[in-house]
Amino acid sequence: MDLTREEEAILNGEEGEGKQKAMELVTALGKIYGAEDLIDITSAHLSGASYKTIGDGGLKYLEDMAAGGARVSVLSTLNPVGMDRTRWAEMHITPEFAEKQLRIIDLYGQMGLRTTCSCTPYTGANVPSFGDHVAWAESSALSFVNSFIGARTNREGGPGALAAAILGKTANYGLHLDDNRRPTVVIDADIDGSVFSYSLLGQAVGMAIGSGVPYFRGISPETEEAKALSAAMAASGSVALWHAEGATPEAGSFDVSGLEEVSIGEEELKAAYDKLNTVDDVQLIAIGCPHLTDKEMHQIAAFLKGKRKVNKDVEIWFCTSEEVRARCPEDVKVMEEFGPVLADTCMVVAPIEGAFQRTGSNSAKAGNYLPTLCSQKAMCRDIPALMELVM
Amino acid sequence: MIVNGRTISPGKARGEVVMLEEPLSFLGGVDGSTGELRVGRGGNVAGKVLVFPKGKGSTVGSFVMYDLMVHGVAPAAVVNESAETIVATGAVISSIPMVDSVPTVYMFQDGDMVTVDADAGTVDIEGVEMRDTVSSAVMVDGKVLLLKRPDSCHSFPGMWSLVAGKIEPGETPEQAARREIAEETGLKVGEPDATTKPVHVREGKVLWRVHPFLFRLDAVDPVLNDENEAFEWVSPEDIRSRDTVTDTFLVVDRMLNGQ
Repeated sequence: MDLTREEEAILNGEEGEGKQKAMELVTALGKIYGAEDLIDITSAHLSGASYKTIGDGGLKYLEDMAAGGARVSVLSTLNPVGMDRTRWAEMHITPEFAEKQLRIIDLYGQMGLRTTCSCTPYTGANVPSFGDHVAWAESSALSFVNSFIGARTNREGGPGALAAAILGKTANYGLHLDDNRRPTVVIDADIDGSVFSYSLLGQAVGMAIGSGVPYFRGISPETEEAKALSAAMAASGSVALWHAEGATPEAGSFDVSGLEEVSIGEEELKAAYDKLNTVDDVQLIAIGCPHLTDKEMHQIAAFLKGKRKVNKDVEIWFCTSEEVRARCPEDVKVMEEFGPVLADTCMVVAPIEGAFQRTGSNSAKAGNYLPTLCSQKAMCRDIPALMELVM
Repeated sequence: MIVNGRTISPGKARGEVVMLEEPLSFLGGVDGSTGELRVGRGGNVAGKVLVFPKGKGSTVGSFVMYDLMVHGVAPAAVVNESAETIVATGAVISSIPMVDSVPTVYMFQDGDMVTVDADAGTVDIEGVEMRDTVSSAVMVDGKVLLLKRPDSCHSFPGMWSLVAGKIEPGETPEQAARREIAEETGLKVGEPDATTKPVHVREGKVLWRVHPFLFRLDAVDPVLNDENEAFEWVSPEDIRSRDTVTDTFLVVDRMLNGQ
């Protein structure tokens, strides 16, 4: 790789072992993916925040990094953690888990990360601009900022993103380069336009193409729809960038004539729905994957207002960020009649498998990961249909 | 012999090889606190040079490697055919020397003593010598000529093989292929109709680097010399069911499919 004199010096350990290790990692990954050089980044977003997902090995790694004086040099945010910081007992979390989880948050804080822990940092804590190069590691969030904002990031891993955050640089390959941002397939979508239909569309596209850069026709997503679509395609496939005609900032700059065209309509959406639904009754309904936005909080509260939860056998969790929860006190009051509004955590990264075996959500992403990461049988329906189960 | 690869994680280490034929997920595949291997032939990775094609599975695998290091049971080094993010990340953060881009894990055997110089990107397999050979599929009417080696043959005795032999000093692989065919079958061949990348076959302390060729001929009558005791024309699919020299089916299949 073509390193500057300054980067070589860091690699040779002239700025300490912490930065040297970070440079070793960024250059090793760059080499694997054929990067020619490094590129400056304006922000980072890290996964690997839940004790459930990183375990004792990850915790020790963070202890050692923090003790070695590692500090991020650009705006850096953190993914959801395994529990609400204060309401973990309501999530059936053990004190031992809670202690280690709080330690992890503290260690990231020591390294200079903003410890609001959300998979939707682009709604407040960390908002890249068009054309910014960033190093993001949450599959749904990085697809959102790539696609809906026009920032540029690859699918970074947790330690890779931390190394990039320390250096303020990442390896320049893949989606940082113009050529790799071109659409590879045209998707003609026929959906009803609800947020849930974007989840199913994403699921169907991931199932149909796996990877690549889809170019959509026939949809006009706003933030919530783009969030659902990004999350679903990153979970059912490995899509990290998509374009939508007339709706995303880079869509107009490509000629898509001659590309393969795939139609997604009623039949494909039904197959996607069936794939995500493997059970008819649930013990937990968890909403907010990715985290609920202000607008979704208002909509859910408006829907629930005046209604009552009568089925006591089913628990309900609402998941959002600490910031959004703090901004929506009136909504929270209504929603709490149905179940806790939990901050900075979610059903995928929390150890729910200790307490539940069957979980419902409105998220295609959760529908993919609940069976594998949480040993759950999963249900995936829109919010009104889920709420009907308890009213 | 020294195998050239590529630096992924710097450092140097010497150790005994533990080799896996399949991609490895550290999460589930290795116990992070004991180093016990739960896949392949089992055993323990502590202090060993772990050789496998590439990583797979959960990204938590990087932290399992860190766990191994913390518990003092990390592999001394890692050697891959192609590095991916999870194992590369784990090796770098855990300061485990790692080299990738070796041609194939089949160059290695369990128990080999190797020195991994990850700074230079090389792996020295101690006491092993590489020998270049050719192996030619002579085809007539869709069938491949197989020769049976006598039981007294020092390499792969009693097995069926293509027309094979060592490359002499000063010879190109293609010249060696033509010479071996002429010597062992009396046949004359022109330009090869296909070839493919060399395959590596271990036989004890010898690593055979086999250069494959395919020659198509019209009806012919082979005349054997004393290096082989029988011949037979066999369809490519049927090679698999014969007791052949390692990878015979693979190289014929690759050449017929233009790989």
